[in-house]
Amino acid sequence: MYEFITGFMFWLALGVCLTGVIVRTILYFRGLQWNLDRVAYKAYPVEGFKGAIRSIYKWILPFGTHGWRKQPFMTVIFFSFHLGAVFVPLFLLAHNLFLKEKLGFSFFSINGGVADFLTWLVVVSTILIILRRIALPEVRIMTNWYDYLIILISVAPFVTGLMARYQVGDYSFWLLAHIISGEILLFAIPFTKLSHVFLFFASRAQLGMDYGIKRGGLKGTKMAW
Amino acid sequence: MFKKILFATSATEASDHAARVAFNMAGTLKAHLNLFHVLGVPTRGFSQVVFDVKTKKEVSVDDEYISWVEEEVKNYYSNQLADGVVDCSIKASVGFPHREILRQAREIEPDLIILGGTTGSDEDSVYKSSTGSTLQRVAKAAPCPILVVNRSAASFWGGLSNIVFGTDFSKASDKAFDFALKIAMSLNCELHLFHALDISSTHMGMSMSQDEIEQKIREAYRKIRFKYVSRMKDRKNYSMDVWEGIPYVEIVKYSREKHADLIVMAHNSRKLDIDGSKIGSNMEQVIMRAGCPVISVNR
Amino acid sequence: MPEGIFCNKKPIETEEALTALLGDTSGAQYYKEMKSLDVDSKLLWTTIQNTCKSRIRTWLEICAHCGMCADSCFLYLVNDRDPKQVPAYKIQSTLGEIIKRKGNVDNKFMHMAMETAWAKCTCCNRCGMYCPHGIDMGIMFGYLRGLLYQQGFVPWELKIGAGMHRVYRAQMDVSEEEFVETFQWMVEEYEEEYPGLAVPVDVENADIMYTVNAREVKHYPEDLAEAAILFHAAGENWTVPSKGWEQTSLAMFAGDWAACKMQVENVYAAMERLKPKRMVGTECGHAHRATVVEGPYWAGRKDGKPPAESIHYIEWLAEALREGKLKIDPERRIKVPVTLQDSCNYVRNHGLRETAREILSYIVEPGYYREMSPNREHNYCCGGGGGFNGIGLFRPQRNKGLITKRDQILATGAKLVIAPCHNCWDAIRDLEEEFEIGIKWSFLKPLVISMLEIPDHMKPEE
Repeated sequence: MYEFITGFMFWLALGVCLTGVIVRTILYFRGLQWNLDRVAYKAYPVEGFKGAIRSIYKWILPFGTHGWRKQPFMTVIFFSFHLGAVFVPLFLLAHNLFLKEKLGFSFFSINGGVADFLTWLVVVSTILIILRRIALPEVRIMTNWYDYLIILISVAPFVTGLMARYQVGDYSFWLLAHIISGEILLFAIPFTKLSHVFLFFASRAQLGMDYGIKRGGLKGTKMAW
Repeated sequence: MFKKILFATSATEASDHAARVAFNMAGTLKAHLNLFHVLGVPTRGFSQVVFDVKTKKEVSVDDEYISWVEEEVKNYYSNQLADGVVDCSIKASVGFPHREILRQAREIEPDLIILGGTTGSDEDSVYKSSTGSTLQRVAKAAPCPILVVNRSAASFWGGLSNIVFGTDFSKASDKAFDFALKIAMSLNCELHLFHALDISSTHMGMSMSQDEIEQKIREAYRKIRFKYVSRMKDRKNYSMDVWEGIPYVEIVKYSREKHADLIVMAHNSRKLDIDGSKIGSNMEQVIMRAGCPVISVNR
Repeated sequence: MPEGIFCNKKPIETEEALTALLGDTSGAQYYKEMKSLDVDSKLLWTTIQNTCKSRIRTWLEICAHCGMCADSCFLYLVNDRDPKQVPAYKIQSTLGEIIKRKGNVDNKFMHMAMETAWAKCTCCNRCGMYCPHGIDMGIMFGYLRGLLYQQGFVPWELKIGAGMHRVYRAQMDVSEEEFVETFQWMVEEYEEEYPGLAVPVDVENADIMYTVNAREVKHYPEDLAEAAILFHAAGENWTVPSKGWEQTSLAMFAGDWAACKMQVENVYAAMERLKPKRMVGTECGHAHRATVVEGPYWAGRKDGKPPAESIHYIEWLAEALREGKLKIDPERRIKVPVTLQDSCNYVRNHGLRETAREILSYIVEPGYYREMSPNREHNYCCGGGGGFNGIGLFRPQRNKGLITKRDQILATGAKLVIAPCHNCWDAIRDLEEEFEIGIKWSFLKPLVISMLEIPDHMKPEE
């Protein structure tokens, strides 16, 4: 069982995820049409590129934009969540050991204490995100079961990981659950709203190009994001 | 004298004094009277919605509504129109009053425009955006003289025997004189040439000595003789006076003394009241106070 | 009844059809017919498949339903934070739903979508700046309007408006002759005051080709005179085209893309015919957006630019003041508290955020200028953009929408609001009528003229 899910299933999940990400990213940019989107992408590649980079950069900085500054609470829980959600899976020591064994390479590893903290941060901010969804009418009205499913898929690896980490009950059960939920996450990335892990960059880049080319960029006005 | 008169009316009580003069004049002079009513200012961007100044309602304007309004105007003046003495046409239109009046004037080329009162006030927010009052704006650009009746006391038009011509010796005043003389000649009435010497301290910045005042008065008489009397040929039927004071007060006082039936003045002010100041020009002050109709001539 | 006499899927193509539709007072019959207008689901779905590509599809897909766009929408704020006014909800429940159902929506749904597209969104694009994913709901609403227009679900005034452009190539029934006639009339009216004032019609190779908004011709032609005076005072070599003078596009508000193309090509043809160095448009926001920002794409111009360099009036004015072509008498600068209304259509959507401020730095006595909050590209819509001002059916919603601007203006304490945009100007006028807060409002032209140092060659002889 363990062999299967760390072997075949791991490869499958990783393959599907990476292929999906690559294919969808290509499809996204191929689907951009200058005349329908009314942005002359090809005529101004440099301006477009600058706009795209600026738009992405500003928005991945905490409090980097008017939007973030306007909603400090959301910004804090959002960045807390995403900080953990990006760093822990990639840079946890155990993950890197696993990667080394499977792929023959690894990223640098973060300190165990930091990893624990980040993981808890993910769990706590998830709870706050859910509470926010329930508490605020403007978010509640749009929330459906699918949103909760996405949250479940993305947070399950962290919860199961913590259970395994603190060896609550049966360690091997939690480990197995952790790996399976992680693979589900990988499978889900290209096909669900989780596609935002890469389409975020695509979509931000597109709007950045729009502003960089059409909406003032050519006039030398940089958008105050 | 006048073949075509454009009477811009609100078709309400506010225009009644003017209406009396308009119908009387048209009747006496056998002129064609064009009753022109601007029913409201279009609001709301490109929509068809107009705030009807008469009914105080927002209406959707189309050809049907305009015909209905024209019918209403006709009904309002049914008494005056009943005997069929006055040759009359009616037109209603939508837009800013001064602009539409000028547009109509450009189209029909009247010899005289008679301005009725507005139903609302120029303070209404729909008009606030445009600088100056409707009167100022029409007077500034009108191609022909404009007659305004403000007070009910002024609305009697029982034929003309005395015309007061107020001058400030400007170019426009020369035109106004030509016009006043033309009326006086054709209706054979007495023409009173008048100049008011402005001694208000705000105007001069300091008060004048009596010698100085009298000196200036003598000069003014000379000017009147030179500019106007010389052009009346052997006409005897006139008088001339120069009084000192605040010009509009003196003109009104003078007109009362001479039992004027009409005051003719030049509308000299080229600038519109940007601050919307209530004082207005001399011209407007005279209109507000005079006990007879006032004609403003610009060109 | 699938198609009504007035309410149907056919655009207005003739003067007769236009007059007939105008004769339907307030669109009473039109809206009645709309209640039984059929939805052509097949056409709807085919259109979506052909025109809805990765950008909009991705936007709809990745929206995290986080609600961060809520506060960015002034209509959400003034409607007591009604969750149904959250931009993401508005677009998901309309365009999102149409796509989800592959176009299988009914008449009732289309009515709801029409109200959402025209009474709950002004296409000001502000929400797009507050979405972490960069989802611009204003753009999607523009797209949705196109779909609704194609199906005949469009407010009466906008069906007429688009029809005007198709018939007259202008937003109102102003013919080419009337335009030239009116301009000449205005010049005659002012030439005594400004000797040498003229309106050069159809002059080739001029430095500036001036284009206007038909409303100016129809209702406040002084604006034409004022433009002529300022060009004259600045010593510009300018012209107006007798054909292709209308810069606006109600077709853009209506979502009638074919009419947008016809309209803008008419202006571009004038540029190609007269070969001016530059085109200057009047003080209008959506006209600039239609002709300069979006127009090139409708006309299929790959560089995204009109045939001649095209600038907004404020760009020309700022330049003329900067270079000393126009001189301001410092004594006559504005000495009342004054604020500026940034128009979405050329500030947020074309980056002209400092231009009007530069002009104000010349014409306002230091210490009297007050910024609105927020301002520049973060400013709120005036409350009447995107066609909202003109739609009788949605008047109550629009009047409510004015509250945001009212409160912003009140907070500045300004007594004068400068609005170099027809739509904003109208909305501010209407808000004064509605709420009477004691303000004045103005375009830039009359203000600048009132404080201009008239060059000697333009002084009237005394």
